[in-house]
Amino acid sequence: MTAVDVTKGFAQEMRPSIDVRNLYKNFGRLKVLKAVSVKIEKGEKVAIIGPSGSGKSTLLRCMNLLEDPTYGEVWINGRLITPVDPYLHREVICASGTFRTIYSLRSRAVAEGYMTEDELAASVIAEIKRCDLLRRFEGRDYRNAMKALKYAFGMNVNLARRGIGMVFQHFNLFNNKTVLQNLTLAPTMLKLASKEQAEAYAMTMLRRIGLADKAYAYPSTLSGGQKQRIAIVRSLCMNPEYMLFDEPTSALDPEMVGEVLQLMKELADMGMTMVIVTHEMGFAREVATRVLFMDDGRIAEDGTPEQVFGAPKDKRLKEFLSKVL
Amino acid sequence: MNAWEIFYREFVTYEGYETVLEGLLATVIIAVCGLLIGFVVGCILAVLKIIPAKRWYAKIPRWLANIYVALFRGTPMVVQLLLIHFVIFPIMHIDIPTLAEAVIAFGLNSGAYICEIMRGGIQSVDAGQMEAGRALGLGYVATMVHIIIPQAFKNVVPTLGNEFIALIKETSVAGFIAIVDLTRAFQNIANSTYEFIIPYVVLALVYLVLVLVITLIVRLIERRLKVSDRR
Ligand SMILES: Nc1ncnc2c1ncn2[C@@H]1O[C@H](COP(=O)(O)OP(=O)(O)OP(=O)(O)O)[C@@H](O)[C@H]1O
Ligand SMILES: [Mg+2]
Repeated sequence: MTAVDVTKGFAQEMRPSIDVRNLYKNFGRLKVLKAVSVKIEKGEKVAIIGPSGSGKSTLLRCMNLLEDPTYGEVWINGRLITPVDPYLHREVICASGTFRTIYSLRSRAVAEGYMTEDELAASVIAEIKRCDLLRRFEGRDYRNAMKALKYAFGMNVNLARRGIGMVFQHFNLFNNKTVLQNLTLAPTMLKLASKEQAEAYAMTMLRRIGLADKAYAYPSTLSGGQKQRIAIVRSLCMNPEYMLFDEPTSALDPEMVGEVLQLMKELADMGMTMVIVTHEMGFAREVATRVLFMDDGRIAEDGTPEQVFGAPKDKRLKEFLSKVL
Repeated sequence: MNAWEIFYREFVTYEGYETVLEGLLATVIIAVCGLLIGFVVGCILAVLKIIPAKRWYAKIPRWLANIYVALFRGTPMVVQLLLIHFVIFPIMHIDIPTLAEAVIAFGLNSGAYICEIMRGGIQSVDAGQMEAGRALGLGYVATMVHIIIPQAFKNVVPTLGNEFIALIKETSVAGFIAIVDLTRAFQNIANSTYEFIIPYVVLALVYLVLVLVITLIVRLIERRLKVSDRR
C-alpha cells in the first residue's frame, strides 16, 4: 500500500463554524460527554439547556479547550484545535498496522469471493472503531498520516481562543487589575493594539454599558451585575467571532439578572454568534435561534426554540420542561 | 578603663565603626539580593511543580524541582556556603567576588523555601483566574506572570517577610567564607579588645533593630497591596 494523501477529500466548505465531532470526555471513570457532535455556524445563537450534571459546561469548555476532550475533535473555522483523533479519519485507520494485520488475516474472504475489497475494508474499519483497537504505535504510514492532517489543519489553540470569548458563571475578572486594565490586558499583551488604542476602545465599550466611571475601580468594589457586564466587555475587547457563556446569570442576585441579559440581548441583535448555557428559559426562548437539550452526556434534542419548547419529543426533555417552566 | 571606654575607643577612635558599617552593608546586600534571587528561583520552581503534566516526560521538570528543594532544604546553609565557595566554584573555575558567591548561595537556598511558599500562594488563587486568562488567548506563562503570581504574592507577603527575617539572621554565617558581615565585624572588635560583653550585646541589638525595620516594611507593603481588596 502506498502512502495515502489524507488531506485529499477534506476540502472543507469554509462556512465559519465551531464544529464539535464525536466528542467524548471522561473525568477518570466518570463519562461526562458521550459522542457529542454539533456544528454551530456563524450567526447562530445557541442555547444549551439541561439538568444539572448533564455535561453542558463541559461541552462549552471543550469548545475552547479549557477541557481537553478524551476523544473527538473540535474544529474552529475549518481548523483543528484538538489533536487528531485517528478514529474520525478513514485514511488514518487504513494506514495503521492493526488495519493491515486484520485485513490480511481476512483477505481470504476476498480471494474466495464472499466480499469485495471495499466491503472487507469497511468491516475492518467498523471493527477497529467498535473495539477501540488502535494502539499508540501503528507504524510509519500511520504516523505520517496523522502528521499530514495535523500540519494541514492544525491550529494553535491560543490563536483560536482569541476569536472565542468566554464568560464565566463567577465572572473571573482579574482581581489584581483595575477594570480598565482587565479590558486592555489581553489586547495589548498579544500586541493586537497599542496601549492607547486598547484604552480608547475599552473606554468606548465602558461608556456604552454606562460603567465608564468604574474604569479605575478594582473588581472587588463592583456589584455582581457590573462585574459580569465588564467580563462580557472584556471578551468583546478581543473582537471575538464567537462568544461562549456558561450560566452568566446564575451567580447573580435576582435584581441584577436583567441588566446582564439586556446586554447579551444587544449583543445578539448585533449579530454575534453566541453559545449560551443557561437556566433562563425565557431568555433562551426569546433570543436563541437554536436550542440544544443535553441529558446524561448526550445531546438529546436539537431544534428551534419553537420545536424544543413547543413540541418536545424527548421524554426527559418533557420531564425537564415540566419542572422548570 | 572600664568596658564601655574600651568599646568606645575601639569603635570610634580606632574607627571600628567603619568595619561595622561595611559589615552592615554586606549583611543587607546578601539578604536583599538573596531574597530577590530566591523569589525568582522560588517562583520558577513553584510553577514547575504545579504545571499540569499528563505524559511521563512532562513530569521531569517537577522531579528536578523536587530534587532541588530536597537538596537545599536537606543540608545546612553553612555547608552549602562552604561547598559553593571551596568546592563547586573552584572546580568550575568561576572566579567572582566572595560577596557575590554568598549572594548566590543564599539566593539558591532561600529559593527552595520560597518555592514552597509560592506554591501554596499560587494554589490559593482561584483557578478561574487562570481560565479567564487562557480563554482570552494568553499563554500559560503570561497568565502566570501577570495574573496569578501577583495575586499569590499578595497572599504570601507576610510569609515572605518571615522568610526575609530568617534570611537576614542566617547571613551571620557568611563569615565562614571570609566575608566581613555584621557578625564578623563585631567579632573583630571583640577579639582585638578581649572585651566581649558589649560588642555582642550591641550586635544582638543591631539585628533586632534590623528585624523590626523589616517587619515595619512588610506591614507597609501589605497595606499598599490591599488597594485591590474591598475596604
Ligand atoms: N474537573 C472535573 N473533575 C471531575 N469531574 C468533573 C469535573 N468537571 C465536571 N465534572 C463532573 O462532570 C459532570 C458534568 O459536569 P458539568 O459541569 O458539565 O455539568 P453541567 O451540565 O454544567 O451542570 P450544572 O448545570 O450544574 O452546571 C458532573 O457530574 C461533574 O461532577
Ligand atoms: Mg455548569
